[in-house]
Amino acid sequence: MSEHDAVDRLTCVLCPVGCELEVGTGPAGGVQVTGNQCDKGVPFAEEEVLRPKRNLATSVPIRGTASRMVSVRLSGPVPREMIFPILTEIAKLRPEAPVRRGQVLIADVLGTGVDVIATRTVLAKADS
Amino acid sequence: MSGPRETCDVAVIGGGPAGLAAALGARRAGAGKVLLLERDRTLGGILNQCVHDGFGLFLYKETISGPEYAERLTEDVLREPIRVATGTMVLDLSPDRVLRVNSREGYRLVEAGAVVLAMGCRERTREMIEIPGTRPAGIFTAGSAQNLVNLQNLRIGNEAVILGSGDIGLIMARRLVFEGVAVKGVFEILPWANGLERNIRQCLMDLRIPLELRSTVVEIRGRDRVESVVVAKVDESLAPVAGTESVIPCDTLLLSVGLIPENELAKKAGVVLSPLTGGAVVDETLMTSIPGIFSCGNVLHIHDVADWASFEGFAAGERAARFAAGERPAGPTIRVSAGPNVRYALPQLVTRGKPGVEWSFRVKRPVRDVAVEVKGLTSGKVYARRKFARLLPSELQKIKVRVAVEEDLEVGCP
Amino acid sequence: MRETATPTYDVVVIGGGVVGCAVLRELSRYDLRLLLLEKEADLAEGVSKGNSGVIHAGFNVPSGSLKAKTNVAGLALIYPLAVELGVPHRKTGNLVVALSDEDRPRLEELKAEGDRSGVPDLEIVDETAIRRLEPLARGRWALYSPHTGIISPYELTVALAECAWQNGAEVRLETPVEAVGSGDGLFRLATPKGTIAARRVVNSAGLFADEVARLAGIEDYRVFPYRGEYLIADKDCGLRLGLPVYPVSSRNDPGLGIHITPTLEGNIILGPSAEPVEDKRDAASTREVMARLKAEAGRLMPELGGVPFIHSYTGIRPKLVDPSGRDRFRDFVIEESGLRPGWINLVGIESPGLTAAPAIAKMVAAMIGGRLDMREKPGFIAGQPPRIRFAHAGDSERAERVSRDADWGEMVCRCEHVTRAEVVSALRNPFGVRTMDAVKRRTRCGMGRCQGGFCTPRIVEILQDEGVPADGITKRGGVSRLFYGRIKG
Repeated sequence: MSEHDAVDRLTCVLCPVGCELEVGTGPAGGVQVTGNQCDKGVPFAEEEVLRPKRNLATSVPIRGTASRMVSVRLSGPVPREMIFPILTEIAKLRPEAPVRRGQVLIADVLGTGVDVIATRTVLAKADS
Repeated sequence: MSGPRETCDVAVIGGGPAGLAAALGARRAGAGKVLLLERDRTLGGILNQCVHDGFGLFLYKETISGPEYAERLTEDVLREPIRVATGTMVLDLSPDRVLRVNSREGYRLVEAGAVVLAMGCRERTREMIEIPGTRPAGIFTAGSAQNLVNLQNLRIGNEAVILGSGDIGLIMARRLVFEGVAVKGVFEILPWANGLERNIRQCLMDLRIPLELRSTVVEIRGRDRVESVVVAKVDESLAPVAGTESVIPCDTLLLSVGLIPENELAKKAGVVLSPLTGGAVVDETLMTSIPGIFSCGNVLHIHDVADWASFEGFAAGERAARFAAGERPAGPTIRVSAGPNVRYALPQLVTRGKPGVEWSFRVKRPVRDVAVEVKGLTSGKVYARRKFARLLPSELQKIKVRVAVEEDLEVGCP
Repeated sequence: MRETATPTYDVVVIGGGVVGCAVLRELSRYDLRLLLLEKEADLAEGVSKGNSGVIHAGFNVPSGSLKAKTNVAGLALIYPLAVELGVPHRKTGNLVVALSDEDRPRLEELKAEGDRSGVPDLEIVDETAIRRLEPLARGRWALYSPHTGIISPYELTVALAECAWQNGAEVRLETPVEAVGSGDGLFRLATPKGTIAARRVVNSAGLFADEVARLAGIEDYRVFPYRGEYLIADKDCGLRLGLPVYPVSSRNDPGLGIHITPTLEGNIILGPSAEPVEDKRDAASTREVMARLKAEAGRLMPELGGVPFIHSYTGIRPKLVDPSGRDRFRDFVIEESGLRPGWINLVGIESPGLTAAPAIAKMVAAMIGGRLDMREKPGFIAGQPPRIRFAHAGDSERAERVSRDADWGEMVCRCEHVTRAEVVSALRNPFGVRTMDAVKRRTRCGMGRCQGGFCTPRIVEILQDEGVPADGITKRGGVSRLFYGRIKG
């Protein structure tokens, strides 16, 4: 995706060994991974360098209140470049109480296939 | 004070990831009356403001956010006949386990058969690290900022500098950028970052926030609101190097410069504290120097992952229940000290002849391809040896000795 | 009445420090229309908040001076006054220690000076007596003054103002005087909130007293700001200091030397330094002085090496001594202007101004009484009972308070054990002060070891419950805002 990630160093987080991976440009536009002590390191590094995915979390006020907040996240990771467009969508949310933990607040946000979900329960009454 | 005192078998002080688990642990080990005391209005402690994900991988086998973790553990607690008192602060604890407790419902004394300390930690402040300069508005510890931003919807500034690369600081760097606050940089006095690698990558590198190692804030400027900070490089002894100063205009300074176990109550009860952890000295049952008072979670030592604070809570709760039921320590103890490049090893005391004890430890500086050993101080015998491809000061690690030991030990990374 | 557009006061006091508030309270005994103007968002925001909080006995200043006279007179007044006003204080005594025999003559000089001024019961004591009086102190010889004490200077200032207010005086905050006119026997004080007419003016503007005088055309004074830095140790540092311990200071020292002072809450204060600075508002701490404070204090009390400090603060002292000149001593100025009769200047009121304040207030009242017809009011309210602090209350008092008002059961500050009831009561003060620092000084929220880390979010919520919008929350008024509105509106 981007030129500036042509060479990257990252620590594999798939197991506690924590291999220091070095990722260079491979033949035919692919990547070349070195430093991995097992086979799982290669797809990990490929995804992290070529198609990094992230979850995101924030919080939004309950409708009609200034500061009664419900925290939200995505049901799964999305391509990293979708983070800011999704944040813009979330910023428009003013969910109505009550909100349940896990409740979908935006389904299939921006066509990514993941949902924006509430991560806490907010009761209808003010003293939750 | 007149009036009857409340009694319980196990009183758990603090309803965060450790305290919630301790209450459950006590209940599951058969304690009849378990009282869970939380000073905030809701259970969950600091988890409630940690809206980011990355919790629960060990306890729930999936990665969830702090509020979800808190709610799930709270639901487990509420399913049990545990008396939950929120908005309730314990003000005093005596060595014979009498608690002075205050809440809107009343001020009262509670007598407990056993006590579990799970009060968590607090943040180091600007004053503790003695940053010179003015005292304007706009200086926040990262955790307070997290509360104000995530739970109170407050814009704490427009341009921020973050001092310290602890995890809360890194997480807040990302949160601020997400909410439209420019983060000018993260400055770390040590030669290595203090937060988890995942957070360095996802919170800083993803957002192109510079991380400057071996540098610190040497002056705060601005009379009413922060106007700028002066940063400088530091030398080997961490002293600022003259001539390396640069001025960074900003209106906000966030501090993520370390956490301290909050042991005010432990001190009141006379619990012996370790200068290395800031928490209680405990044996393998997590009991402190005062019989019947147990400790777990961040009040015992600072954890990197909430799940481990909960696991410690389950264990402390169970041991507290057994103490309340009359079980007493099995006998004399041996001492365990921190050896080369190990900041601390916990527990610091172990019942003599007790097999299967596991230690938590942290290293002092990052190392690669090393073996950590548990060694007898008299015999020099190595009781356990574990190899690590790398060890970071930010990570809490474990090592276990399977056999029974009769001599004082040292956990070291030679 | 007489004026149409602007209200006319008998006396306007400019400056809400301890001296201005003491003058206001003293004048509120009489049937006068009184107003105090303060440019900051709270009282005691200047010199009165940044000092050691010591009630001085009076041996540090030359006998015969106004400083000595008002100090010794103030010493006799301040303890009963503090009791009347319910202000926390303690008569501790103090020691000025000489580490070697060579310094003993300086102690003798101090004692002689004090004796001449009428300072009661001064005594030179030996090593044994020093250890008995204060086990933490070291020294061959010491001057012991049994009547020295400690007091909370901002609580005294606020209590003086509240007492004056109870007796009918008005207080306006965030109201700087920007210009002064006169005519028809009245001074006209122009402020951003309108012009105020006054028959008499008391200028107790502290660091800015020279500038305020200049507004009235009085060019006689120049106030030099001297910065004094302090460090405060954690209560839990393991040391209990019973009384203030001073070094023998040289005659050339612009201050009293770096001393070690206990607070009423059990903290230990180190400081202050004494350096001339350019800017009267330059209250920054410096790395050099922080290190020097620790070194000096360690010399005086080796146990202080390695104790944890939880806070630093800085006070600026209004001195008349020109740092580049040869004068080593300048006296308080307490005088009615010859140029502007009816205008009283209080200039250069530095240490021992806190102790001297009640005596200065009486002098000012006498000066005004010589010109205005002052009748004592019936029903003067002398003060109020001490404020109950949850942290200091016993079990039954606590239980009783919580059962009557649940706000006493809600802990806001976990370090200093301050309840919501105390925060709300501080916010409902008669002058409408709603800053974070005002809460801190009135309740101790944020003065503990977490330095507000935990209670700031709670106080922010309570401020909003009390009607302060999030945008309007400030540290100390003006543009010291904490927030830039809501993230998501």
